Formats: sequence, structure tokens, C-alpha cells
Amino acid sequence: MKARAVALPLLALLLVAAVIGLQVSNGGGTFAPSASGDPCNPRQVQSVASGIDGLSEEIVLLGLDGAACRLGLSREALLLDLAQDQRPPGTVEAVRAGLTGAVDRLQEEGRLPKASVLANEAVQLSNLSGFVKRALGAIPDRLIDSQLDTADVLRRAISTIDVATLLDSLDDPGSLQRSVQDAVVGAARDEIVDRVRNLF
Amino acid sequence: MRRSVLLALAVGIVLADSAVVTLALPQILRELGGTVTGVAYVLISFNAVLALAAVPAARLCHRRDPAPVAVVGLVVFAAASAACALAPSISVLIAARTVQAVGGALAVVSCLELLVVSTGSEHHGVRRWITAGVIGTATGPVAGGLLTEAISWQAIFVVQVPLVLLAVPGALSLRGTGVRPLDTPQPGPRRVHAGDRPDVAANLALGLVSAALTAALFLVVLLLVEGYRRSPATAALAVSTVPLAALLARPLARFAKAGARSEIVAGTLLLAGGLVALAYLPDARLGWTVAPQALVGLGLGLTVDALTLAALQRKGPRVRHGGWTISARHAGVVVGLVLLTPVFTGDLRDAQVPARESIAALVLDAQLPPKVKIELAVGLAEQLSKERGRVPDLHPAFAALRLGPIDRIVADRLEGRLDDQLERAATQAFRDSFLLAGGLGLLALPFLLPLPGRRW
Repeated sequence: MKARAVALPLLALLLVAAVIGLQVSNGGGTFAPSASGDPCNPRQVQSVASGIDGLSEEIVLLGLDGAACRLGLSREALLLDLAQDQRPPGTVEAVRAGLTGAVDRLQEEGRLPKASVLANEAVQLSNLSGFVKRALGAIPDRLIDSQLDTADVLRRAISTIDVATLLDSLDDPGSLQRSVQDAVVGAARDEIVDRVRNLF
Repeated sequence: MRRSVLLALAVGIVLADSAVVTLALPQILRELGGTVTGVAYVLISFNAVLALAAVPAARLCHRRDPAPVAVVGLVVFAAASAACALAPSISVLIAARTVQAVGGALAVVSCLELLVVSTGSEHHGVRRWITAGVIGTATGPVAGGLLTEAISWQAIFVVQVPLVLLAVPGALSLRGTGVRPLDTPQPGPRRVHAGDRPDVAANLALGLVSAALTAALFLVVLLLVEGYRRSPATAALAVSTVPLAALLARPLARFAKAGARSEIVAGTLLLAGGLVALAYLPDARLGWTVAPQALVGLGLGLTVDALTLAALQRKGPRVRHGGWTISARHAGVVVGLVLLTPVFTGDLRDAQVPARESIAALVLDAQLPPKVKIELAVGLAEQLSKERGRVPDLHPAFAALRLGPIDRIVADRLEGRLDDQLERAATQAFRDSFLLAGGLGLLALPFLLPLPGRRW
């Protein structure tokens, strides 16, 4: 009787150990949300979109990493702060520096498209008249590429863009796209003007 | 139908009410409004009043004929159940639940006496009363979940009305039969004077085991319905493991012949172990909850009836000690709910940050066009803001997207991965509560030690 009295609790303990052991060996205890990656260790990004949209996305994703790294946050925490209109001190500067760093990295990796590719797409997307669009389209790509460097145009666009307004329009895809396009087209125009000035 | 069966059915229904609305709580929350903590008082109020009213009700039954007390209790319980079904607000529902508990306390303790009289045997009557309570407690959430899914949460209370009233004629027929110990199957001295003190150790152990059991029933249901967003019927099916395993426990105990104390210790270990196992689920598939719930069910079957019997054994007056066991059980339920509700609601709130960050990461890295990502992010933010401390439903954000066939496949996969992150967050959020509940169960062990003067 005494042996039976001890055996039943022991059997219970064995059963419990077996169930918990089976669960832990199958990942029990580690079933938790994925941890955020280290933003100072930039990840590989590859947009499914092409042209300005794809390039913008890659720059934004890499830039977000850079900004988060500078601010000592995860990129997800920074993004959620921005989405809730909360800006940690120094956010605008960190975002600008992050975006510039992203352009540097894409340039180093040889992943920036030629200026003519961006220019043609920007012209097509712009609200210029058909005549002007055709006239600009007639400029040979070789001439554009010889006069414009994509990285310089993007750096100029980043330095002039109103980051604060850009961050305010994060939840408005149309406004965001217009801001980026205006900045890139404006930077390309200013870059050409500078080059022309330098000729004289 | 036999009178004793109807009386036992009434006992089962009243005690099932302790947890019957658990699976309906999310629907009640949606329909009547309030907070998760507020809606928990639909359970807490019933159990607290039942715990407070059981002993005075037992005293009344000891002094007066229990049959009319049972009739009054059953009618009050039925009327309050109808009021619960018609409640237009959470506060009215909670008020009706307190009245229901007063009626329930009168009905349950008086039925103990009436079952002894109607079966003609103290042993069988007490056994039937205890078994009805165990089955009611174990099957309550399952029945409630199925009724909620099939009809509505109000149906839980509507169904109770005729079922408990079925016992009224049986109770009336036993009027004036008196209450006497009809047989004396237990050897040893029997004390039947009014001053006989309750078995503190058995009742405390019963309370702690009940607190842990509440966690098993309440938290599992909330995890499945709110955390994993399963339907009440699916959750009911999953938690039916507990009553099925509880039913298996008695034949197993008879086979083991290990003695009451050994059964109770084993049951307590199984119950606490099952709760710890629930804290370590490997993923959100329902299959993983079966073995831990089976442990809980076996624990329930081995502990509650044996402890109740231990608390009643060689004690008199029987009805008063029956009242103490009801009081201890439901006080334990209240302790469990009061301790665990702030823990898991707090953990659920804390889990929002990692959940949102993992969702943000997956959306950022998704192989979708940037415009779609932004549109999706806006939709997800809207869903997350609607959550009010609960796990959000992300599907509307995905359903609103206009996508081509390839992007739709990618979006569907992404939705699955986001849901997985939410399930991970919910599992993590419930972990501490399950561990705390397991700890409550283990606290019963010191009261089970074979100390001098302990008669079981």
C-alpha cells in the first residue's frame, strides 16, 4: 500500500516531466515575437519595385537603419515612434544622415542606376506638358550621364529635402511620393545648373 | 427522470456557472462594452458571493428543512439567470450574477442533504453531490463555449432556467423528510455536534487547487479565443480535454488503489505540472494544448472530489461542512481570478511593444511594392489602435488592399507571419500567469502532509 502511495505521485511527476520535456524540445519557452535586428549592422535590402520607387524604398530602408543606429533605437521602434508623431531629439538630423549613408552604401555596391534612367522616369512622372516631356526625352542618355552623377543628385536631394515634412507625410503615400520626386527632380535641375555654371 | 439525477443536475449547473461564461467573455465584452478587467467581474462576482453565501446557507439548511430552502434557491437562481440573459449592460449583468450566486448557494448546499435523503445513502448522496460539482466545473466552459458559438452568450443563461427548475418538484417531494445520517460507512469516531470545526487543511488545499484550476480554465480559454483568435466552439472543443481527462481520473484512482492522500498529491502535481506545461507551448497549434490540459483534467479529477470528501469525512453537521467546501472552492476561484487578471492583462499590454515591432519589421522587409507597404502600414496602425488592450485582428487591413494575384499571395503569406507574431506575443504574455497559477497549485502540497491529527 505504501509503495502504491508513493508510486502514484512519482508517476504524476514522470508524466509532467515527459510533457514539459517534449514541449521544450520542440521550442517551448522560445515561442516569442522575433527580436529586432541591430540597425548598426545594416541588412541587405532589395525592393521588388523598379525605378525611382524601388530606389527610394532601398534608400529609405537603409536610411532608417542608419538613423536608428545614430539614435540608439531599433529601426522598428523608430518607425513606430515616427508613425505616432513622436520624434526623439535629433531625429531629423539622424534621418538625413542615415539617408546620405544609404546613398553612399548603394554607390559603393554599384547599385545606383545611371542618371539618365532616373531622369527619364522623373520626366515621365512629372506634370510637364507633353511637348516639354518629348523635348527632354530627346536629350541623349549619354549626355545626361556625362553631366549628372546619380549619387550627387541624390545627396543634393537629401540635403535639400524637408525631412520634417517628409516624416509628417509618412502615412500619405501620394504626398510622400510627390515630396521625393520633387526633391530628386529639383536636385537634378540644380545639379545641371551648377555644371553649366562651372563650364563658364 | 429520477429525482436524485435532477438534483445532481441542478448542483452541476450551479457550479458550472463558476466558469460557464469564460468562453463568452470576449463576446460579452464586445456587446456590453467595458474592459477586460471589468468583464472578469462577471466571473469574480458570482464566485465571491457563492463563497460568502455558502456557509450561511448551510447553517440555514441545518436549522430548517432543506427542501424549501432548495426550492427558494433554485427559483432565485433561475430568475437571476433570466435577468443575466436580458442584461443590457455589464453592471446589470454583474448585479444579476450576484443574485444568481445567492440562489446558487442555497440550492447547492440544500441539495447535498436532499441527495443523501433521495439516494437513501449518505455515501452515495455525498458522492453524487461531489461528482456533480466536479463535472459541472469541468464541463462549464465547454458548454458555455458551444452555446455562445451556436446561439449567443445569452443562451447560456436561458438554457439554465428550465434545467434547474426541473429539480423543483423533486425538492418539494422531499419536504419534511428531515436530515439524518442514514448510514455510517466510515469507521472511527463520528462527531456530530454543531461546534465541529471545518477541516482547515483540506479546505485550504481545496481553495488553492481551485485557484489553480480557474487559471487552467480561464486562461486557456482566453489564450485560445483572444490570443489565438479561435472561435468559441473551437476553444470549447480544445478545452473539452479537461473534463474528459477528469472523468478518466476516477477509474485510474480505483485501479491504482493508492489512498486518498496519494491521489490528492498526485493530482496536485499533475495540475501544477499541466499549468507549467501551458506556459511552455512550442507554438499556437491547438494540439500542443491537449497534453497539458489532460494533466490538468487528471489533476482536477484526482484532487477536487477527494479533497471535498476529506473535508466532509467524519464531520458533522454534514451540510455545514459541505458549505465550507463550496466556500473554499469558490474563494479559491476568486483568489485565482483576482491575482491572475492584473498579471495577464498587464503582460498583454507589455507584449504590445515587441508585437508591434515584429509586425513593423515584417512589413518593412515584405516583398511587396512600397506603395502597398505604406497602405498596409496605415491599415495595420488603424487595427492596432482599435485593440483596447486586446490582441488585434489584422485581417481587415489585408482585406482592404487591392492587389494583383502575385502580390495577393505575398500579402497572404505576410498576414500569416504577422498572425504568427501575434500568437507568439500572446503566448509569451500568458506565460507568467500560467506559472503563477502552477505555483498556487503547488502551495496546496504543504496542507497535504500526513501531520498528527489529520484524519485523511
